[in-house]
Amino acid sequence: MLAAGADAGAGGGAGAADDGADGQDRRGGRGGPGFPGGAGEAAAAAAGRARPVSRARHVPEPGGDAAATTGRRETRRHGFALCVPFPSCLEAEIACGSLAPDAEPHRKAVEKQLTVSGSVLAVRWRAEDPRLLRISVLNFLDHLSLVMRTMRRFGPPISR
Amino acid sequence: MPAQRPWQLGGQILEGALLGRRDDGGGAGAGVRALEPFGARPGARFCLAPGVLSLPARSGIRGPARPGGSQPCRRFLSVSAMPAVLGFEGSANKIGVGVVRDGAVLANPRRTYVTPPGTGFLPGDTARHHRAVILDLLQEALTEAGLTSQDIDCIAYTKGPGMGAPLVSVAVVARTVAQLWNKPLLGVNHCIGHIEMGRLITGATSPTVLYVSGGNTQVIAYSEHRYRIFGETIDIAVGNCLDRFARVLKISNDPSPGYNIEQMAKRGKKLVELPYTVKGMDVSFSGILSFIEDVAQRMLATGECTPEDLCFSLQETVFAMLVEITERAMAHCGSQEALIVGGVGCNLRLQEMMETMCQERGARLFATDERFCIDNGAMIAQAGWEMFRAGHRTPLSDSGITQRYRTDEVEVTWRD
Repeated sequence: MLAAGADAGAGGGAGAADDGADGQDRRGGRGGPGFPGGAGEAAAAAAGRARPVSRARHVPEPGGDAAATTGRRETRRHGFALCVPFPSCLEAEIACGSLAPDAEPHRKAVEKQLTVSGSVLAVRWRAEDPRLLRISVLNFLDHLSLVMRTMRRFGPPISR
Repeated sequence: MPAQRPWQLGGQILEGALLGRRDDGGGAGAGVRALEPFGARPGARFCLAPGVLSLPARSGIRGPARPGGSQPCRRFLSVSAMPAVLGFEGSANKIGVGVVRDGAVLANPRRTYVTPPGTGFLPGDTARHHRAVILDLLQEALTEAGLTSQDIDCIAYTKGPGMGAPLVSVAVVARTVAQLWNKPLLGVNHCIGHIEMGRLITGATSPTVLYVSGGNTQVIAYSEHRYRIFGETIDIAVGNCLDRFARVLKISNDPSPGYNIEQMAKRGKKLVELPYTVKGMDVSFSGILSFIEDVAQRMLATGECTPEDLCFSLQETVFAMLVEITERAMAHCGSQEALIVGGVGCNLRLQEMMETMCQERGARLFATDERFCIDNGAMIAQAGWEMFRAGHRTPLSDSGITQRYRTDEVEVTWRD
């Protein structure tokens, strides 16, 4: 069955930790799509002062100035991880191929990554808004279910 | 079901097959099988029973000749030379799966998600409906076509434009079967699907296309490898205007709000004056919609007019606008053919008005029946068939759906 873990900021793996002093540099470095100046941000965050930092390519976004001063709030603090076992590697790859191409509706707020290891499809979400995270996960599960029903009804996969 | 008009094709050859059927079963299997006893004229896509309008024989219009393409007997014998394409469509509230092989529609089942009167269809609910029926539809299509998964050469699906969640639900299935059966995938532009099916069914050579539906309103003409948009709505689609007006009057959405407005309009007696908003080559409908929503409240309360009068007035106004911008494009292009595609194209009053305009210009009008006007899977399969033969492929990584997809974004390499 599915193994799901919800971690509020304390996930494992590269780039997943978001709180604490350690996280600050990485958080500043990763930021969101609107924050290209990684080094500048990390310095500002490390300085611990809430002041606007001028960036080389500042892309204004809704609440842009507010985001500059509330460095912690706009990063993706919420995470969700899902591991879906499949009967074979090929089927896991097929599921990944079907579910990965469509972009998230709220790209700036929620991102997800799909990877296949062995015959397991692993999906990791990071989101700043728990409501959008929930919507994204539920939609994903609906489509995952559809993919599985399709594979059951029209599979097994033709051998390559 | 009203009688078919002379310029409507794709229906004349079927005896009674269309009468009374408004939806759910855009199947054309019977139509295709009926052709065989009469034999296929070289290059002709359809052969008509004696006594019915004949189509000009068309050869070489589709581009380079393919092996055996002009030999009538071989067309029906050699299966492997003829690619069979499976097409998935679900960008709005209709979901269809179609199979096309070498210009013949082998299957075209469809389902419509109908909401209660006074409501429209929302993306999440529509997607849920599509997910519930799509696998059954796929099975139906294969069975009706008499094909197995291995007989299919390519999987086509609607890449866009349309509503996000329904598009994803359908694309996900298309990608899955393409991988399961190890077949190439093709993302098709929905508007181009309509155009290619219109061309196939009617035999029009290079028409000015009026594409009118709930989601799109465009006047399109082909030029140098693009379907160029000559005029379009600057806000909402004409079908959207009609659908939202239907909600105000709580007109039933079964089989479609537009169909019911059309029936009511026939009983209208009084023309209520509405804003007429043609802007050069373009049109605008949102102003008319707000005006008529307002007028409806007032006039129905005072009994100044009936709902039928309002339906009649709305149709007369918006259709006249569409005829005007189509005529303008035809004048620019010096075109002698007009083709109506899209769900609103089923409307016989619109067809009548377009025919009047065409006759005045000495042009020919082409239209299809509800099987192919309304969103269906076979149109995606047909466009996919053209693209597949021209060498287009959509790698999985590029196969994401897109809600905005302009008709002129696609390079039409399959036409000269």
